[in-house]
Amino acid sequence: MTRQPNAVDFWRGFALITIFIDHIPGLIYSRYTLVNFSISDAADLFVFLAGWSIRLMAQGGDRPMTTGNLMLRLSARALELYAAQVLITMLAIAMLATSAIELSNPLLLEWHNAAAVFNDPVPTHIGLAVLTHQLGYFDILPLYVVLMLMAPLFVLIDRAAPNWLLPLSLVFYVCVLAFRLTLPTWPVSGTWFFNPLAWQVLMVLGFVMAKDKAGVGALVRRHIVPIRWIALPIVILGVLIVRFDWWPDPTVMPDPKLFFIADKTYVTPIRLLQFLAVIAVFSLAFRYIRRAADLTVIGPVVNGIIVLFAMLGRNSLYVFCVGSLLSLAAQIMRYYLRGTVGIDSAVVILGILIMAFTAWLAESRQRNAPARAAAPPGVP
Amino acid sequence: MAFGLACVNATARAQDSPPASPVSKACQPGSAALSTESSLPNVAAALATRKTLRILAFGAAPGRINARGGYIDLIEAMLERALKGTDVTIVNRGVSGELAADAASRMKNEVALERPDLVLWQVGTNDALDQVPSDEFAVTIKNQVDWLKAHKVDVVLVGLQFAKGVQRDPHYIDVRETLRRVAAQENVLVIRFFEAMQIVSRVEAHGGPSIEPDEVEQSDAGYNCLAQYVARAITLGVFAKNLPKRPQPARP
Repeated sequence: MTRQPNAVDFWRGFALITIFIDHIPGLIYSRYTLVNFSISDAADLFVFLAGWSIRLMAQGGDRPMTTGNLMLRLSARALELYAAQVLITMLAIAMLATSAIELSNPLLLEWHNAAAVFNDPVPTHIGLAVLTHQLGYFDILPLYVVLMLMAPLFVLIDRAAPNWLLPLSLVFYVCVLAFRLTLPTWPVSGTWFFNPLAWQVLMVLGFVMAKDKAGVGALVRRHIVPIRWIALPIVILGVLIVRFDWWPDPTVMPDPKLFFIADKTYVTPIRLLQFLAVIAVFSLAFRYIRRAADLTVIGPVVNGIIVLFAMLGRNSLYVFCVGSLLSLAAQIMRYYLRGTVGIDSAVVILGILIMAFTAWLAESRQRNAPARAAAPPGVP
Repeated sequence: MAFGLACVNATARAQDSPPASPVSKACQPGSAALSTESSLPNVAAALATRKTLRILAFGAAPGRINARGGYIDLIEAMLERALKGTDVTIVNRGVSGELAADAASRMKNEVALERPDLVLWQVGTNDALDQVPSDEFAVTIKNQVDWLKAHKVDVVLVGLQFAKGVQRDPHYIDVRETLRRVAAQENVLVIRFFEAMQIVSRVEAHGGPSIEPDEVEQSDAGYNCLAQYVARAITLGVFAKNLPKRPQPARP
């Protein structure tokens, strides 16, 4: 039996659809996603919820999972994410190669950092295998793999000294920003677009916030009302900055600049703060969305959205993988057919339907085995 | 400030202008499509005052194109050869597949962090393939070039990539022309990569020197030519006022 819709799955489903749309640059609907109204975006939400899910998994249903089992489960998940990354990367390369042949356009071979794969395959295949070469828009899973490899350490620290995890993570984050520590790409020189050394703080935040009985999570819950009042103007200011391009000039910021500029690669403090403000304000939202599902007129539509998003969120890895490939397919299709409102609408509708079918297919095994216990929200 | 700049230019001119970075025989036909009308005052100032040149590269990253390394490594090596005694550093911050608008906002942060003298921006191909309207593209390029100028950072734009399959693609042509027009209005250097490769391709078709036998490998070799064009454009840009104007090629 699959678990009932909950806030984590719902928002993860929302993030998946958003990422799918955001990864089709030029798409008309990509002008209306979260990133157009917020300094942070769906990637932040996804990583935060990944940390949250690890907490739920660690807590288990009736009793906490043993440390050994948890280590094993997280390591297995890291391996699964790695396998998924390798698979979708190879499929993406094949899609680009097929399109280049069928459309007689070798430029498609150079799309999304694929040029090195075709121009210089010997070192690039090593880079693909060790995740130092990532295709454009296929760079979130490598971040996840590294974060999931770090997760056993987070869990161990949390179990040994729960109050130390967040401070340690923050100290490391501060060092990363101060010294601009990052992971290099190879064979093409550069750096990872998502720096796992910085993004770990977001996963740890999700992990500690999900703990409702003690620590930071409990503290936040106790004071959530004043926190929301503080967060609201930050959210509004974030919208204004993004909509009216009120970004301060990064060149006049004091050093070390990463502490004062909004940067996605390093998920800098401005971005982090705005994201936490969004979470504080919108933590209420799912409750009201669920209530809206009981209304006569819009109820069925809202309920359908809840069921759809939650189903996508429950099967996030499969949906994410298929969504990534669909985004690439959509880009190729838009290139071939030209992007129009009709084409773009068809792309979004068809994409969401295929993502929903993927989730449905992934759950079919569970539907056919009703005796299986409903698992807590898994790691995305 | 103008006086200071004039002094820098005068200093640069007073030096023995080094020969511009050479272009190989196979790539030479394409160099007719390169514009070298604009100077690079901030690069000239950097060379005159500290003998270092820091370049921030944005755009496609084609990987290693020969045993000496990638496109970026080649440009770095060629510039160091041409600008003897200068320590050239190129920081590659290209995110492949990125649209000009996304690159533009990221570039501001990178300029703040890396403090380059010059931004080398390969732009347009993704916007053309992703069907970004050319008027939006024009505004993005113009605003970004203005921002770079205001922050005393020179810019060399590298235009759209070449492939025979897109020679008649109207949107691709439109974006190419838009980039050329905006670069001319803003008086910034633009390496018209598409036109250069198109000429090379035509010359090859008429029995001229060949860069590579098939189109996929041509792209690889095209980047080799591109590295040469970029290095040449930068060296010419530094000493632009000393050099005769290059005849403008007929528009393809």
